[in-house]
Amino acid sequence: MAEQDSLKTQRLIVGVFSILLVVVLIIVAGVEMKQTQSTKLAAVISGDNKRCVDCHTNKGMAVKAIDAWKESVHAQQNIGCLDCHKANKDDFDAFYCPESDLLVARHPTPKDCAECHEQEVKEFADSKHAHQFWLIKNADRAVFEPTIATRNGCEQCHQIGNVWPDKSVGECDACHPKHTFSKAVARQPETCGECHIGPDHPQIEMYLESKHGNIFRATEKNLNLNYSTLNNEPIPIEVPVCTTCHMDGNETQPFTHNVSARLALESQAPWSFRTVWDQENLGDWKVKRTRMESICKSCHAPDFVETYLLTADLANLQYNEIRRYFVYWTKKLTANGTIATLKANGKEYSDPVLNGWDEEPEELMYNAWHHEGRRFRMGALMMAADYTQWHGIWEIQQDLAKLITWAAEHGDNEAQKWVKSTDPAKFFPYAIYDFPGSAWGINVLSNTTPFLYKNFSDYWDRAYKNVEAVFKEGLLSEKQWKLWEKRYKNKEYYLGTKFKADSIFNFYKKRDSIDTKAFQDQAVKLKLPGQPFYKK
Amino acid sequence: MIDKTKAWLKERILLDKKKSSEIVEKVLKEPIPKHMKNWFYAIGATPLLLFLFQIITGILLTFYYVPSPEGAYESVRHITQDVQMGFWIRGLHRWASNFMVIAMMLHIVRVFFTRGYRKPRELNWIIGILMLITTLGLCFTGYSLVFNQLSYWAATVGTNMIKEIPLVGETILRFLRGGTEVSGNTLTRFYNLHMGLLPTILFVLIVVHIVFVRIHGVSKLEEHEESYPFYPEHFYHTVVIVLFLLITLSALTVILPPGIGEPANPSVTPPHIKPEWYFFAVYSILKIFPLRIGIYLSIAVLIVATFWPFIDEYMQARWPKIKINYWVGSLVIILFLIFTVVEIIVT
Repeated sequence: MAEQDSLKTQRLIVGVFSILLVVVLIIVAGVEMKQTQSTKLAAVISGDNKRCVDCHTNKGMAVKAIDAWKESVHAQQNIGCLDCHKANKDDFDAFYCPESDLLVARHPTPKDCAECHEQEVKEFADSKHAHQFWLIKNADRAVFEPTIATRNGCEQCHQIGNVWPDKSVGECDACHPKHTFSKAVARQPETCGECHIGPDHPQIEMYLESKHGNIFRATEKNLNLNYSTLNNEPIPIEVPVCTTCHMDGNETQPFTHNVSARLALESQAPWSFRTVWDQENLGDWKVKRTRMESICKSCHAPDFVETYLLTADLANLQYNEIRRYFVYWTKKLTANGTIATLKANGKEYSDPVLNGWDEEPEELMYNAWHHEGRRFRMGALMMAADYTQWHGIWEIQQDLAKLITWAAEHGDNEAQKWVKSTDPAKFFPYAIYDFPGSAWGINVLSNTTPFLYKNFSDYWDRAYKNVEAVFKEGLLSEKQWKLWEKRYKNKEYYLGTKFKADSIFNFYKKRDSIDTKAFQDQAVKLKLPGQPFYKK
Repeated sequence: MIDKTKAWLKERILLDKKKSSEIVEKVLKEPIPKHMKNWFYAIGATPLLLFLFQIITGILLTFYYVPSPEGAYESVRHITQDVQMGFWIRGLHRWASNFMVIAMMLHIVRVFFTRGYRKPRELNWIIGILMLITTLGLCFTGYSLVFNQLSYWAATVGTNMIKEIPLVGETILRFLRGGTEVSGNTLTRFYNLHMGLLPTILFVLIVVHIVFVRIHGVSKLEEHEESYPFYPEHFYHTVVIVLFLLITLSALTVILPPGIGEPANPSVTPPHIKPEWYFFAVYSILKIFPLRIGIYLSIAVLIVATFWPFIDEYMQARWPKIKINYWVGSLVIILFLIFTVVEIIVT
């Protein structure tokens, strides 16, 4: 009997512990398994940071900011609230938290970020991003726009170069959003596009219309932009985003927060010019261009890269020649009193050459620089065909024609002569650059019709002299000049005129004539029987 | 033709019908004590079945797994997200490893409380302990192969503990890691251990364990306990366990599939580094004591566990009225569960 009892006890113990172990351990294993699904790492919150987080959470204040911080690398590395928001009594933004004895900084500035990210902050301060305060400091906005509009307008973007009372420059969270400070968000093209958008510098639209942007859109679901290229690692994504070319490193280039380190041209300025920005430290434009080319060559053949960029450089220089003609006209019209400069207290508040206008010729010249002039030049550099063409050169030419027509209407003889002229060359009252062929390949039929080629036998000699001249001025590199000359010497090959494709041409000519007949029949010759309502 | 083949085989295998049917008879008719009709007493075969699961799913996983720092995480991601049924095979493998540890614990609980280790079965207990250690080794190395943040740092802290073993700790640590840090060398070493050495050791131990069981017979709870033949009833018992496991593991894989986490990043230390849950209790204790003392304590526990049959026998002889194994067993289980749960709550 005793043995039976003892067996019962034994069975009970085994049963109870077995069930207990199975239940508890499966739950434990389940909880752990669930954690493996999370890609986020939990944050440690302790000490004063815990006081901030607990109190803010209880009061429902800035909870989203805290949630965002919890997702950040900062949180994972134990960088808490006060590491960035700590303050000294004399700091411009110091205040005592009303619920505690903590002295808190309202606006962490680049100076605070620099405590850990010294190199990034310095690189940023050396870049043209930091220089953006310059434009809001200038007086023109106060003349042309009510200041209230500029607060949330130009100031919002240009605060990327905020000059803080602590003398640090910049606004890191313009790209790295508070409080995740995510690298991935900073790399998202739309982050750059927050500012690089619109009629005056639509880089985001240019990017998205380029092959780069198209592939990005097609593959973005699988792209992880949260990577590091600090150690000269290969670019880890298959398609470039903005930062890939302007900031990220590759095998040859170090990662940098200086967006000016790889730019060779000032294509946003009223005149295109080779950049001299911080060249004592960054090197001259050729060094900067070599940096950019090294990135391009991660994916593209050297010949393509060099040909493409030389073509874009010449387009930028071509803009200057058109600009020169705008300046000629506005200066002439100002000098003879047809248009006037804004003045007050003996000071000029508009500059017909740069900006500021209240009359049509000034407006046309302003737009031919600030809007279409930039789109033309930047589009040419960024593989944005539509911006180079229709939103670019087409509108510049229109502006020019409108300006001269306006001058003619206001009695200028030279302008009247231009308006009356039936010479097709009248649209080229300026010197031209050209490049034999394109980076895309040899197109046998694309260079057979232009008016200037056919009617000016010295067309290419003129282009040669102009390109040679800017090379001698140092606006093109030796390598670029050699590439141009190579093409020039064999231009029939690169222009495709050396080759014959008559049979192909005739085949499509036939199709074209069928099309022409169709639109003649369906549209041009069509007459409706119902009469119109307005009589001439 | 068939006769000829039979004769040909018979000459070579040297086994006639009579002999072979005798063997089959012996295997199939192995008497099983009646108490094993109770499921809790029939858990011993479960780790073996799970081991077979692991071999099958493990082989399938090696078709895709790449044991290199660059390839490991990506190949696990590929298995989980791209390969057809890959998530299921991986889930079964992962969950079965958890279940294997749980099943072994249950088996140990049963053996411990029934004192199934008493003479002449002491050696088989020690083999069992060795099997537990080998299984935990397999779990540890397998977990590390994923090479994500969690597993990378688990491997780091896991191997850090080894360093504290007196005299040989440093050497074993370097031997396992293939350097001072967890790296590509560690990964290939762990892969080798996980795929080759440890399963082989476990297989040999299992064979020896079963041979011992067969030699001794299953220990009876009562002196004159009735028995029944292995086949068919107990065999069906086993089949039911297999089906139960397959369904449960599949269900768990669907409900709680193992994730892939973030790729291992040696330069970013996560705030909470922790090993797999079966090491939680030890890990938790190690946090209370200085690491070295904690390690000594663990080694002491391991030694006591290994030689428990002899200790128990000695104590039984001295204090025959006290059921020492009940007290020790209950205390160990409760402490183990408390420390495990505490660790999970803390993190």
